[in-house]
Amino acid sequence: MTDNLIATDKPLTPEVQQILSAILDTLIPASDDGVMPSAGKLDLMAHLKANDADFLQTLPEVVSWFDADFARQTEDARHALLTQFSEAQPELFDPLLHHAYQCYYQDDQVLIGIGSKAGPPFPQGNALEPGDLSLLDPVLQGDHKYRS
Amino acid sequence: MSLFSFEYEYNVLQCPGVGDDIEKGEGNIAQNADDSPVDVLIVGAGASGAAVAWSLADTRMRIVCLEQGDWSNSSEYPTTQTNWETLQLGPYNINPNVRGRETDYPINNDDSPINVVNFNGVGGGTIFFAALFPRLHPSDFRVKTLDGVGQDWPIDYDTLQPYFVQNDRMMGVSGLAGDPMYPPKQPPLPPIPLGLVGETMARGYNKLGWHWWPTDSAIISQPYEGRDQCLNLGPCGSGCSQGAKSSVDVTYWPEVLRAGVELRTRCRVREVTVNDQGMADGVVYYNADGEECRLQAEVVVMACNGVGTPRILLNSKSERFPDGIANSSGQVGKNLMFHPMGWMEGRFEERLDSHKGPHGCCILSQEFYETDRSRGFVRGYNMQINRGRGPFLTALQGRANGTIPWGPGHHDAFQQYFDHITSIGIVCEDLPEEHNTVTLDPELVDSDGIPAPKINYQLSDNTRAMIDHGLDRAEEVMHAAGAVETSRYASVRNAGWHLLGTARMGNDPKSSVVNSWGRSHDVKNLFIVDGSVFVTSGGVNPTSTIQALALYVADTIKKNLANLFD
Repeated sequence: MTDNLIATDKPLTPEVQQILSAILDTLIPASDDGVMPSAGKLDLMAHLKANDADFLQTLPEVVSWFDADFARQTEDARHALLTQFSEAQPELFDPLLHHAYQCYYQDDQVLIGIGSKAGPPFPQGNALEPGDLSLLDPVLQGDHKYRS
Repeated sequence: MSLFSFEYEYNVLQCPGVGDDIEKGEGNIAQNADDSPVDVLIVGAGASGAAVAWSLADTRMRIVCLEQGDWSNSSEYPTTQTNWETLQLGPYNINPNVRGRETDYPINNDDSPINVVNFNGVGGGTIFFAALFPRLHPSDFRVKTLDGVGQDWPIDYDTLQPYFVQNDRMMGVSGLAGDPMYPPKQPPLPPIPLGLVGETMARGYNKLGWHWWPTDSAIISQPYEGRDQCLNLGPCGSGCSQGAKSSVDVTYWPEVLRAGVELRTRCRVREVTVNDQGMADGVVYYNADGEECRLQAEVVVMACNGVGTPRILLNSKSERFPDGIANSSGQVGKNLMFHPMGWMEGRFEERLDSHKGPHGCCILSQEFYETDRSRGFVRGYNMQINRGRGPFLTALQGRANGTIPWGPGHHDAFQQYFDHITSIGIVCEDLPEEHNTVTLDPELVDSDGIPAPKINYQLSDNTRAMIDHGLDRAEEVMHAAGAVETSRYASVRNAGWHLLGTARMGNDPKSSVVNSWGRSHDVKNLFIVDGSVFVTSGGVNPTSTIQALALYVADTIKKNLANLFD
């Protein structure tokens, strides 16, 4: 592992990368129907480089809490270990989850999977039901009146 | 007696005072070629500064507006990026202390349960505002008479009515005529679509027999004045990439600049200076390079919002005004009012498509707007129905609530909430209290060394009771509309959008800072046109009323040019 994670394109060793991917896959697993990818499939490192270089530097410390065989454990076992970690090290776990969510829910495949659109809101925009303004009839027939 | 000779079409005013030595502000002041004296100097290019500049422009006076921030580029707004939710947490954060741009100034909120939120730049808060655009009601100007609390305004709704109309046309307001909770009004554009959120909640209100109405929105629902209509992007709160939201950088300012007003960005005003006669004679400001500059003026107009304006006034100390300019009453910086907010969310089984459409502009209810003492408080609140949040914040909030776990079950839980949530903001009228203040922080300063504002604010018992009542009613209507689950939050911390009351208007110079048309009681060529002059807060978003007031002040200045300083 290098000292400066921002200055290299390969900041994590394959072993560490494997553990990190397993952590992310445990936080957000793939959906059973395969529509939603697991979080480990997305590029968290690139997200951190762009948005939180400080936490990127902290990532090795996060991974260091887990043994080399973490990735080979069952999902239940990994979940239990991550739960322990979240309770023991919230100052590390909370930003990790925060960034995992941020990276995940701004990915095009994920956006499509949740029924939204890929890409930014602009310029596609959205169609919106105009709504039934006859619903106002009860209001107009009521006794509402401004106070003068 | 007329101190100055003002006339329409009079380009350069011949006024005593210009060129007099300033009492304070000496030092290494940079000499800029364009720092020749001006007729009118406006401080702040936000909602009120733009409106007052537009109205005064037809006098052909030389008008300069100094703005501490920059122009915004709509092609850089977060909604042009897939990671828009990330950008909203950083460079487009509503909290200036988090956003931390060079053009921001820090604010000490340590002694307040509500953080001040804002945007500093051309357009001011309208760049980030939700664009909900209701007017104050007639009763809001008479709360002392009607309910025995606060103070009456020295003007009434009818005084502002023509300026509301003028402002609606300039801004481009969408809405529906016929709301029985207001005197007759006709928004120039049809309302923003209700969407499934609006229809669903409307049915809930109808079940209970409560008032609701489509919002007046400063968002154009149809092409208008060269701008294209709203695309229902969703997040309006970090700038509108489409330009459909009527922030004043795309409404007033283009016309103001065409009319010859000069707008200088990156000019941060430190203080208003006075001459030997006790008249304002200009300002000292810092340019983009941090150089101290001086601009002399015949008339100074403050338009920096209810925190920025008292900050500068209090920092404008001189022998004549040791407690800050325009502050003989001691009222500058006092009576700070927000709109404290409660927040109710409801989850529905059916999908509401709630990430689509302007987040804060849908429908509102003013069923509980007026006083009913049986409720345990005086005055009332507006219920603002909001659309849903984006996917990242849905997941994050779900974790905080314990409703969306990480790990197994995450996707199923997420799908139950994303696009299935709507919310009601309880926007409470805040009553003026002297102990709620803006003062100068003794230590904290901005990047130019100007003291930062310090907020001292407490929620009153009346407000707490109002929030509780509002949340109970919101829960009731959520269930009536079909919500299967609700959650409540109060008071909302980052709710300090509406900054009001800190240089209030009134007829008595001992208890108010400006008169009924925004002129300082103490300094007769100093005007204030922002939310500082509000006497009471009402219970609705104030921008429409702030701008109507600015237009009214400008119009009154124009009508009184011949004897403006009598």
